[in-house]
Amino acid sequence: MAELAYRDAVAAAIAQEMERDENVVILGEDIAEAGGVFKTTVGLLDKFGAKRVRNTPIAEQAILGAAMGAAMTGLRPIAEIMFSDFLAVCWDIVVNEIAKARYLTDGQFTMPLVIRTANGGGSRFGSQHSQSVENWAMAVPGLKVVAPSTPADVKGLLAAAIRDPDPVIFFEQKSLYATKGEVPDGELVDELGKAKVLRKGDDVTIVALAAMVPRAMAAAKRLQKEDGVSATVVDVRSLVPLDTQTIFKEVQHTGRLVTVEENPRLCGWGAEISSIVAEELFYDLDGPIIRITSPHCPIPSADDLEDAYLPNAERIVETIRREVD
Amino acid sequence: MDVIMPQLGETVAEGTVTVWHKKVGDTVKADELLFEVGTDKVETEIPALVTGIITEILVAEGETVDVGVKLAVIDDGKEAAPPTEAATKDIIMPQLGETVADGTVTIWHKKAGDEVAADELLFEVGTDKVETEIPSPIAGTLKEILVAEGETVDVGVTLAVLALKDGATAPKAAAAAPAAAPKATPAPKKSKPATAKQSHAAPISPVVARLLAEHSLSISDITGTGRDGRVKRKDVLAHIGGAGSAVGGDTEVVPFTYTRKLTAEHMVRSKATSPHVLQAVEVDFLGVEIARRSMKDSWKAEHGFSLTYLPFIANAVCEAIADFPRINASVVGEALHIHKKINLAIAVDLGEEGLVVPVIRDANELSVADLATAINDVAAKARDGKLSGDDFTGATYTLSNNGSTGTFITAPIISQPQVAILSTDGVSKKPVVIEGDNGDEIVIRPVGVLAQSFDHRAIDGAYSGVFLGRVRQILEETDWAAELS
Amino acid sequence: MPNDKIENDDIGEEKRLELYRLQLECRYLEKRAYDLFLQNLVKGTSHLGLGQEAIAAGFGAAMHSDDYTFCTYRGHNHTLVRGSSMTGILGELMGRECGLLHGKGGSMHLTSAEHGAMGSYAIIGAHIPIAAGAAWSAQYRGTDQVSVCFFGDGTTNIGAFHEGINMAAVWKLPVVFVCENNLYMEYTPIEDVIPVEHPAADRASAYGLEKIIVDGNDADEVYRTAEVAFAKARAGDGPSLIEAKTYRHSGHSRADTATYRPKGELEEWLKRDPIDMYRGRLAEFGIAEKVISKLEADAMAIVDQATEEAKASPVPSLDAIETNLWADGGSSWRN
Repeated sequence: MAELAYRDAVAAAIAQEMERDENVVILGEDIAEAGGVFKTTVGLLDKFGAKRVRNTPIAEQAILGAAMGAAMTGLRPIAEIMFSDFLAVCWDIVVNEIAKARYLTDGQFTMPLVIRTANGGGSRFGSQHSQSVENWAMAVPGLKVVAPSTPADVKGLLAAAIRDPDPVIFFEQKSLYATKGEVPDGELVDELGKAKVLRKGDDVTIVALAAMVPRAMAAAKRLQKEDGVSATVVDVRSLVPLDTQTIFKEVQHTGRLVTVEENPRLCGWGAEISSIVAEELFYDLDGPIIRITSPHCPIPSADDLEDAYLPNAERIVETIRREVD
Repeated sequence: MDVIMPQLGETVAEGTVTVWHKKVGDTVKADELLFEVGTDKVETEIPALVTGIITEILVAEGETVDVGVKLAVIDDGKEAAPPTEAATKDIIMPQLGETVADGTVTIWHKKAGDEVAADELLFEVGTDKVETEIPSPIAGTLKEILVAEGETVDVGVTLAVLALKDGATAPKAAAAAPAAAPKATPAPKKSKPATAKQSHAAPISPVVARLLAEHSLSISDITGTGRDGRVKRKDVLAHIGGAGSAVGGDTEVVPFTYTRKLTAEHMVRSKATSPHVLQAVEVDFLGVEIARRSMKDSWKAEHGFSLTYLPFIANAVCEAIADFPRINASVVGEALHIHKKINLAIAVDLGEEGLVVPVIRDANELSVADLATAINDVAAKARDGKLSGDDFTGATYTLSNNGSTGTFITAPIISQPQVAILSTDGVSKKPVVIEGDNGDEIVIRPVGVLAQSFDHRAIDGAYSGVFLGRVRQILEETDWAAELS
Repeated sequence: MPNDKIENDDIGEEKRLELYRLQLECRYLEKRAYDLFLQNLVKGTSHLGLGQEAIAAGFGAAMHSDDYTFCTYRGHNHTLVRGSSMTGILGELMGRECGLLHGKGGSMHLTSAEHGAMGSYAIIGAHIPIAAGAAWSAQYRGTDQVSVCFFGDGTTNIGAFHEGINMAAVWKLPVVFVCENNLYMEYTPIEDVIPVEHPAADRASAYGLEKIIVDGNDADEVYRTAEVAFAKARAGDGPSLIEAKTYRHSGHSRADTATYRPKGELEEWLKRDPIDMYRGRLAEFGIAEKVISKLEADAMAIVDQATEEAKASPVPSLDAIETNLWADGGSSWRN
């Protein structure tokens, strides 16, 4: 076991896979000598050389277009889009090209590529560098969507994503880059489509993703201590494929579901999960499904504004106190 | 009056007219037997509901029609609707745009008592989008105006009544317009949609409603400990006898886990779907035992787990299926779909967590040794919770190993949509009669029962029996030592 | 027939016959597609390459079988010249089971990966960086494969054009970008939307590339230009940007009757029909009339046979709808 920072787990996963398979290559802006603006690719250039670790111009359409062309012809590229907000710049390549090439040719192409991107708020970068857009990707058929919350999950899920034969968008939460966690030694490969139950309780099931997971855990602790309310916390980890069975099992046990999403109010990932649970587990619900989200506005930049905008442990506790009896 | 096909049962969707007791032209009295209906459940006599003459019979004896279909017509001398003194037509507020909900009568071009020709301009309507001239749909006399100029009413409200000319019949109503009181009060403008959440005093949640129904309880039976006295799930479960712990009473209530619930549903459904028949053979496992014993230590040392009977049985089953392919099939509609691949599911008991049935694909392509490894892998993965979606799909036949608990025989439940399942029960030393050199003699052999439940829709006893015989033959006659080396 | 012309022939009879055959098959295929559209057997929209055959044929004849083609929604010809099944092409246009894409993609997405036809792309310019990516892959793997990317004059204004060609030039990728300048960006004359004379060739210097303009209606010229560009790419000397001047005989798409064209323009260009010209070229190089006629008859026979086969093919089963989203053949997003 070793303690690794979330950002170092990214590099560790990429290194593990690049060592194993010479077809794995990475490309992106400032990822080579500089090791990435978030220091997520440090050491890879030295280890694997400039042929496999390539800096690109500032050209998101070219970055993802090149990744797609390479993935169609035998390579396993990992393309970085520096901030997930920039996916909007190359969204055509993501949703019209990468997500559809296999389907519209009825299987002539396999597209084993990974798009890694820094997602989410909390860093005072302002509304165009702080969005959580995993819900955009979830809405497009043909994309697998992953968003880990711990360094161990980063390493294991990124390795699994690289080995996956389909396009995967890997959302790294930038506010978690500095967090540390235990990561098992040796080769680590996790599984897409598996949620994790981090805490078992009897009164309410909290389903969270990425940066909201530690906040949900903190809230659960406080609820137990201050209110005697015992909460289950589920880290979804993977939006597509979605582990509905684990969510069902945990909601069936407590009878209540609360989702905690960083997305703005409309069409966040929690809306989809709420809808599925409402439809398929209706007769196991002891009260309405509650969604805790950001407000339906862009993200403000000042400290106190951004902190109040994003769901935090305090808001989770208060909401559950108020809505779950 | 129309005579229609009655619904003779909640799930009945159609019926067959078996016998008409009257023919066209006959008189029938109310309550007199008119016809008989057969459904797949019952034969029923149906009386006439009115007295009258049969004017039409539309469905002949032997014909099957859906519930509600007209079968015959009885003329009972009554009009369909009471006649009015003179036919009239209501003029209603039209809908002048997809999203328009009301309109204002701006101008009447006729007054009460005036004659109106068909298509003659009758009135004008203003909505928030448009001003429109509305012509009269038919010729007649404007009998009364109900909505004055300047008044705003909802779409569909009656604005005026036209008396039709003598001899004219009221044209069939088009799409149903809501009938309004003679003096329609203008509908209030719609208010802004409420944004506040609905609140109810002490609402009954879906799970509480379900539990009450399942246990034939009423909400008033339960004391609520939730906010504002709300009855929570906990409260119902406590009332029934405590959730998960003995709280006084003679009954401990342990609610089903999610997995238990799914298992229960599948088992009930499987029994309801397939008529299960149990057949069993006794197998002399001597040959298998000799091979097992000789390999016991070296196998365990090399593989880290013990060599059990199961891989041998799995191997024999795959070989026998090659000769009896209908065992490896599914019933789809009225056909048997025989699967070319043999994907063996192995039932693994996870205790509290329930039963899982992971699949070994193309089991027929594996040797005994490979099967042993595959079975062990899949059981280990199941216990470690490492099975994924793919591990559960595509099974064509199932082995359920009950013998480890020492049972003599088990009647397993088929895993849908397969048509058979084999239980491997306990192997123990038994006295067995064999034909020796000096006639019959009793020897001690390791004997175990293989019990197969099969779906009698798909196959019959003889087929299943001979299949089992073949499995036994393979187990008893194969040179297993050679197979393993 | 001057002997020195035949003696100094850099292209040769065999290649010339291939060039003619390819152009014929393209022409007859597109005409058949048009006829089938009028009979309501080809649905949706179709973008025909009538009049632009020499470009597809010229490049197609110069490509190795393991090179990659990326083209636009006007890609029937480009897909065909790589050796893709004509039955598959017509079948796809008619939405049949035998279609190259089994009815899942349609006219704008013709693909035959086994022949190196790596897709027809319906979003303007998207395939430019994708073609560069395939070239990067070849460069990485150390093969001598070339990626060829076809697009129209209107594409030269879109963002992906700039991003893709820039990156290809910086990384010296073995990709050849071919702009088929047919003078119209959909319904607008190209000169209305570019500030320079040649939409592609006058932008080449921005990427450090040579200005290359070729008569896109002369298959021999196209072929020679292609050979030069491919040799450069295979030698590791990077990409080329070629502007081939041509003309579109039909409208932008089936719905377009092309009334925006100035009077007489179409007639002028029809006099320079690439196939008529090439027929004459073959005669110049001493190829017998009966050889030429046989090529024409053979090409028509192939199109006729493919038409019958495609018509006989059933519509795809509804089961196909939720297949092949993922590599495992399915489309499941949950357990």
